[in-house]
Amino acid sequence: MRIRNNAVSMSKICLLVILLLVGLTVLGCIGIKTAPEGGSGGTIADGTLFLCPALKQAGGFGCAAPSVEGKLVAVDISDGSRLWEVPLEASEPAAGGFGCAAPATPVAIYGNPAVVGDLVYVGGYNGKIYAISSSSGALRWVYPREGKLEPIVSGVVVALGKVYFGCSDGKVYALDAATGDKQWEFPTGDKIWATPAIDGETLYIGSFDKKLYAIDAITGKQKWEKPFETEGAIASTPLVYNNMVYIGSFDRHLYAVDATNGKQIWQFPLEDEAKNKPEKWFWTRPVACNNTIYAGCFDGRIYALDAENGGKVAGLDLGSPVCSWPVLVDGSIIIASEEGKIYTLDAADNQIELLADVEEAIYAPLCASDGVIYIYSQEQNLHALNAESGARLWSQTVK
Amino acid sequence: MGIGDIWNLVAMQPVINTLIVLSQYLFNSFGLAIIALTIVVNVLMYPLTMKQIRASKAMQSLQPKLAELQKKYPKDKQKLAKEQMQMYKESGVSPAGCLLPMLIQMPIWIALFQSIMRVLAVIPENLLGLSQYLYSWPIVYSTLPLQNEFLWLNLATGDMVLALLVGGTMWLQQKMIMTPTADPKQQTQSTMMLWMMPIMFAFITLSFPSGLGLFWVTSSVIRIGIQYFVTGWGGLVKSAPRKQIARDKKYKQRIAQAEEAPSGGADIVVPSSTEEEGLGYEESGSERQDRGGGYPKSLRAIRRHPRRGGGHRRKRG
Repeated sequence: MRIRNNAVSMSKICLLVILLLVGLTVLGCIGIKTAPEGGSGGTIADGTLFLCPALKQAGGFGCAAPSVEGKLVAVDISDGSRLWEVPLEASEPAAGGFGCAAPATPVAIYGNPAVVGDLVYVGGYNGKIYAISSSSGALRWVYPREGKLEPIVSGVVVALGKVYFGCSDGKVYALDAATGDKQWEFPTGDKIWATPAIDGETLYIGSFDKKLYAIDAITGKQKWEKPFETEGAIASTPLVYNNMVYIGSFDRHLYAVDATNGKQIWQFPLEDEAKNKPEKWFWTRPVACNNTIYAGCFDGRIYALDAENGGKVAGLDLGSPVCSWPVLVDGSIIIASEEGKIYTLDAADNQIELLADVEEAIYAPLCASDGVIYIYSQEQNLHALNAESGARLWSQTVK
Repeated sequence: MGIGDIWNLVAMQPVINTLIVLSQYLFNSFGLAIIALTIVVNVLMYPLTMKQIRASKAMQSLQPKLAELQKKYPKDKQKLAKEQMQMYKESGVSPAGCLLPMLIQMPIWIALFQSIMRVLAVIPENLLGLSQYLYSWPIVYSTLPLQNEFLWLNLATGDMVLALLVGGTMWLQQKMIMTPTADPKQQTQSTMMLWMMPIMFAFITLSFPSGLGLFWVTSSVIRIGIQYFVTGWGGLVKSAPRKQIARDKKYKQRIAQAEEAPSGGADIVVPSSTEEEGLGYEESGSERQDRGGGYPKSLRAIRRHPRRGGGHRRKRG
């Protein structure tokens, strides 16, 4: 081929470099998820496990929208067979630029479904709360009926005839469980991603504004004189145990707060305990057993702390972050690490054993029933394991 | 330790933690943190950027000579290549000179925009992943998660205005680099470059979080400033095509005269005329590119008015 113009060749090289740069830009973003996937843990009621599968991204670049179809699936816990599934509507797409329609907000579900009576309640990243018949999958009501809220990452809690949840708009909402009508809302200073906890008539919830709130579940009024404040955002769900509220924060501390007045009882670690300081933050809800608090941490450890004074009973290294809520089964704490290893921790002597390895990433909370633990992985597989032996009873793909 | 771990250790972690700390000190504004870090990175890479611009400029200044060589050896590829190499050697210009600095800078840009994407952490999955990149500095943990609002932007979502800004500033930058040419093929190539890159980046800005677009706009504005400092407005200043062609013809004639000169290298002095003064050197923005440094000795004497420091600033007429 005749070289006509060296300048043209140089331009071509420069063009190739630019294309390479753009390509690397796109490649560089691979591995950084831009659309929510969700994937809730399961909730069991009357032999049925209700679950919202994770969405898998398909493209998501340019006009190619990721998968937006969320769904609620009912699974028979005896064999993993699917009883029914119901799609959850995506928010209507808005007009986008360059002739493309903006992608609809995906219905990723992060919080566990709540089951009360004959209804299953789920909150979606598309800013809607759904109440669905647990027997048929028929939609009973949706909130809001028109439009949508900001993304809902929080799980829902149902008690006292109301559905409670936090929203990314920084508000806590209470809806009538039967009709979906709003009962009250409570503003906080920043996003809420944490699932609330309820004890009696008090709702406890943390916010990204670094505060833990106690709210009257009936009236929606603040109960404590002032909220309990930490040094970091709060995304974990509080645990209420023996009139104390235990909450982990992004500031790498776990706090024990008096449930009646919001005063701090203890914090782990103490300010002068630098060597004990977790390297990452607490994300999961702690579990209590035998007056000991078990809290999973992103630093790959599970911390066993004295519930009364916060003294460290044990710090057990699991090798990878603990993202999913642990579960208590017959005096043993079952914990999943992010890399898919399932451990059992004997609450009597705090000895830990590897129970199984599903070899799939686990973010979703664990659930258990009748000596069987159910684990939903980010690979969209639902595993049923014997809680004592770790034997796999069945595995089903749920997507 | 794999290559991914090394990349995270030396590139991602420092940039991510710096962005978070900057946010804390810059009024909890992630937008300001992106702008500040982009400025810092550009300042650090200033020598490389200058090297790249100067190398490009030198390459552009050799274009008339290259065109002549191609005309002289239309079929003898070997001879052409040899002459080209000889010319590059004599003028001290390396064709790789404009590409190497760009290639060196690329990993830094990639680390920067990967970090921006990670720090935004708009969805829970990102926040989970982000924790693995953080240093154990208390300030980092008390600052997270960062606020996504900046001016009219939600830094986590695409924005049409910002996409237009990205496209516009990139177009300006590209236009400044362009040198007018009489060769239609080269002209087509340059025009394609001028439009394709801004459009592509504008489209990417629309599809990705605005934090990335903010980084691109800031980078482009800085590059425009540097480019102006080195070459003036360049291709942004309009030039009359006919005058340009006339100038090219005269330029080629001079080169031919220089080529035919005795090997002793006697200087050929071409008197400047009134007509030549109006040939649009300043208008085309190419005058500053012609400092003689990139030419063989035999050609240096034909430069009309060797000026230092910005002919573009002079008033014409």
